[in-house]
Amino acid sequence: MKRHVALNVNGEEYEIEMEPNRLLLYALRDDIGLTGTKEGCSIGVCGACSVIVGGRLVSSCLTLAVACRGKEITTIEGLARDGRLHPLQQAFLEYGGFQCGICTPGQIIAAKALLDSNPHPTEEEIKEWMSGNLCRCTGYYKIFESIMAVVQGKVRVEDQRAREHREARIQSLGVYKSES
Amino acid sequence: MVKFEYFEPNSLEEACALLKEHGEDARLIAGGTALIIMMRQRLLNPRVVISLADIPDFDFIRFDAKDGLRIGAGARHRDIELAPVVQEHYPLLYETFRKVAQPRIRNMGTIGGNLVQGDPLTDPGASLIALDAKITLRNAGGHRVIPVENFFVDYYQTDLQPGEILTEIHVPPSLPGLAWAHIKFLPRSQEDFATVGVALTMRLNGDRCQDIRLAFNSVAPIIMRAKRAEEILRRQKVDDDRVGKMAEVASTEVDPMDDNRGSAEYKRELVRVLVRRAVKQALERSATGKQGAKQASAPA
Repeated sequence: MKRHVALNVNGEEYEIEMEPNRLLLYALRDDIGLTGTKEGCSIGVCGACSVIVGGRLVSSCLTLAVACRGKEITTIEGLARDGRLHPLQQAFLEYGGFQCGICTPGQIIAAKALLDSNPHPTEEEIKEWMSGNLCRCTGYYKIFESIMAVVQGKVRVEDQRAREHREARIQSLGVYKSES
Repeated sequence: MVKFEYFEPNSLEEACALLKEHGEDARLIAGGTALIIMMRQRLLNPRVVISLADIPDFDFIRFDAKDGLRIGAGARHRDIELAPVVQEHYPLLYETFRKVAQPRIRNMGTIGGNLVQGDPLTDPGASLIALDAKITLRNAGGHRVIPVENFFVDYYQTDLQPGEILTEIHVPPSLPGLAWAHIKFLPRSQEDFATVGVALTMRLNGDRCQDIRLAFNSVAPIIMRAKRAEEILRRQKVDDDRVGKMAEVASTEVDPMDDNRGSAEYKRELVRVLVRRAVKQALERSATGKQGAKQASAPA
């Protein structure tokens, strides 16, 4: 039997009518429209669907949405603030922490959960923690380097402006006008 | 996944009553890491799902020097791994729990859920058997306490009776100087199930083994204690010959099957090797007085 469930996602309240068997993954993607969270293996192994619920990193593919009432849910869409990327997002860009991108939201959310509770993890702690997020492109070194860059304070989020500037320069060439 | 009615009882009494009322149609859910997969694969299709998430103090971890360690069935693997009393007094449990799957699954899965699933590939059961832990099973009419080693009956089958809820795990007081080892031999990647898992505790008096408990996962339809192997070393001098004999007996006592982690024959050979290695590790720990598993800082 359907029921109303209020979910707090990235600081916003969403009232959703759902069956109790609705998985958090589908509530996020299909009911709310936050498609940054990906579905990979569907059995909690690959980490693509990682989100943070009540301060804990979890697999949204194995979590009932109804069980998340009253808890803060953080997805990849909740990381950038006021037009600025989260340092981890910036780091993954600058240090090439992704290729095809499907595992990236899960990787970044997992790394965020680690740094939230342990801002200065050792290399071993990062590797151990990230062992639950599979990537079939990068060979993991780039992901590891991206996280280390944040841990070592080598990422400046204001760089985003330079990126926008570059983007504006490209747009000013006018070569994509016919497509708009 | 099948549609179901969902209940969130606020007490164990209420949960037991719901379980009694709905009988075989009902399934309990705690961390969900096992149940949701089985439901998504339609191996289980319960009409009623009863969540244990709202039961107060169901995830406690309490230590008392006289009574030992008591863990609520709703405690998550990660909480047990990070609990200071576990790291200080039960290094074998710390070593075991920090190697279960990976941190995200440890964040979700509970110790009670792990045990009642009866999955012989999982790690906690063997270490709990090696520590002579007991569990409390409760139903609407009362409760019973049984040793973990008697709980596993067959492949994915436990002694949990209809209407029962596993509520608590009790580990006896930690003995000072208890020699121990835990080896999780992995096929390839860190988050996989063990090819062979070994948990060992020994009480030593000089070079004699006063008592021993040896348990395995991933090498039989159940998480098992190797009693015949233990007898080789119990009340005997610990030397290479006897340890080799014990390893030999253990390799015949286990009942592995071929799977993608290795052939049955390979696993038997691993048992032979890993038993000797476990004894060596336990003796080394005992000799250096380093009882703590936590030599490096714990991960977050």
